[in-house]
Amino acid sequence: MTTLTLIWIVLPFLVGFIIYLLPKGDRYLALGGAFASALYVIPLFVQQTPINLRLLDNFGVSLILDPLAGFFILTNALVTMAVIIYCWHSDRTAFFYAQVLILHGSVNAAFICSDFMSLYVALEVIGIATFLLIAYPRSDRSIWIGLRYLFVSNVSMLFYLIGTVLVYKANHSFDFIGLRDAPPEAIALIFLGLFAKGGIFVSGLWLPLTHAESESPVSALMSGVVVKAGVLPLVRCALLIEEIEPIVRLFGVGTALLGVAYAVFEKDAKRMLAFHTISQLGFILAAPEVGGFYALTHGLVKSALFLLVGNLPSRNLKELQKQPIQTSLWIPLVMASFSISGFPLLSGFGAKVLTMKNILSWQEIGMNIAALGTAISFAKLIFLPHQPAVDLDHSPRKTNFWVAIAILLGGLFVANTVYYEAYTLENVIKPLATIAIGWLAYWLIFRRALVKLPVVFEEFENLIGFMGLILVLLFWMAVA
Amino acid sequence: MLEAFVLATILCGFLGIVLKKNLIMKIISMDVMSTGVIAYFVVIASRGGVFTPILGDTLRTNYADPVPQAVILTAIVIGFSIQALMLVGVIKLSQNNPTLEINEIEKSDRL
Repeated sequence: MTTLTLIWIVLPFLVGFIIYLLPKGDRYLALGGAFASALYVIPLFVQQTPINLRLLDNFGVSLILDPLAGFFILTNALVTMAVIIYCWHSDRTAFFYAQVLILHGSVNAAFICSDFMSLYVALEVIGIATFLLIAYPRSDRSIWIGLRYLFVSNVSMLFYLIGTVLVYKANHSFDFIGLRDAPPEAIALIFLGLFAKGGIFVSGLWLPLTHAESESPVSALMSGVVVKAGVLPLVRCALLIEEIEPIVRLFGVGTALLGVAYAVFEKDAKRMLAFHTISQLGFILAAPEVGGFYALTHGLVKSALFLLVGNLPSRNLKELQKQPIQTSLWIPLVMASFSISGFPLLSGFGAKVLTMKNILSWQEIGMNIAALGTAISFAKLIFLPHQPAVDLDHSPRKTNFWVAIAILLGGLFVANTVYYEAYTLENVIKPLATIAIGWLAYWLIFRRALVKLPVVFEEFENLIGFMGLILVLLFWMAVA
Repeated sequence: MLEAFVLATILCGFLGIVLKKNLIMKIISMDVMSTGVIAYFVVIASRGGVFTPILGDTLRTNYADPVPQAVILTAIVIGFSIQALMLVGVIKLSQNNPTLEINEIEKSDRL
């Protein structure tokens, strides 16, 4: 299993570079690389016992492979495959596919790291690969969005590095578990880095602009998997160290509320999805024990939604209300929206029930409001007018689009079996009630609401400035 | 003492990133900050002593800790490659935004 793991880690990078050498086979190679990851996950779930690997002695790389990581890796594999298939007939060059695969490999590496230094390297590679993908169209706007992303992530990673060396100073090792004996400033610095990378709370406000302005496949990758590379280490720290768990849970609730608060008022479809990603990351952190399953369902749904919304005639929801969309697009859109609102029969339901079961009593009010907000914001997509398509388009591009969507939505149906115990009467009624109240609120209030929340917090300097504030906040929380 | 200076460097870099208006200046500030972080690793490594840990004829006890130094090498390489990438991006941006003032870029971005 050790050799297999090592091969699996290196494979995406290797294939990524081979794509440069054999640009003709770019798509096949990229798809093969992602598929290998999907296959590798199977033994992880079968085996159930975590595998701990320690490479290169005590100060080297330590990896942990368990079902929790398995969920994240599976999400990564499925989303990457869907994105590659989606792009199959576009005129993207081999460079794009190589970057997608390198990104895939580095995200996998970040998921299985269990020491801070390897995690740092993985996160930085993710940063570079993401920048190249965002800036792929080479327009001024895309370059600026990418630069902004790279800036925010690099500054936060510098703080993270200081925290890392403080952990080393206290333990003579970089392992996650060392955070327990580390001084509070180490916790604050490391968490700041992970928050900014993972889009948590106000540090995550770089995310809406970045995710909304990138091309649809890139947004799908970023929202589906890349942000989770910052979230999984937080979940791991929370599971390892009891003192940290309340901090993570609290920020989970805060993030979930902040995200939906923006999402319900947003009039732009892609921006709404991006804000909603922030809130869903909060759900993952609010119940760290079951975060893996939630991350899987969210990753699949969010990528499908980004790909679908990218094919709508407009991004503005007000315009879409006047302009009927094709029913064939509307049906998967509704399925994805239902799953994310927690409607039974789709795995979003199981994930929500599982999360709600594992939250503490003080979190309950916040998380229920966040769930309600989710139902409200997705009512905007569900109640879009639609009509049967006039011209039936049978180009291969269209077929690939449907294959990609089928992988993602099919995954949602299959994932249902993970937690089939959720189907009890009591469990079914609660999400239905939440959705009903959400839809009612949408029709009565939010459909007409003209509130526009300020974008001032998303300005570049404020993003960096907020890092300082969050650092102070985290420090005092860690001291307390 | 040395630690205080290093932390001051990091702080200077951070303030530079927030306060400077020009994109190039921001990138240079980021470099100052990362220099500070690298120096901090070196300072931590030299807690036990400053001698290079190479086995020789005279055995010493006050060796420097090689692990943070080895590890920071990776960070230096990553840092400079990111900076190179950013500067390439800035070159591209400067064709249409010759001043590289961040307010101007954000304003034209929002239109």
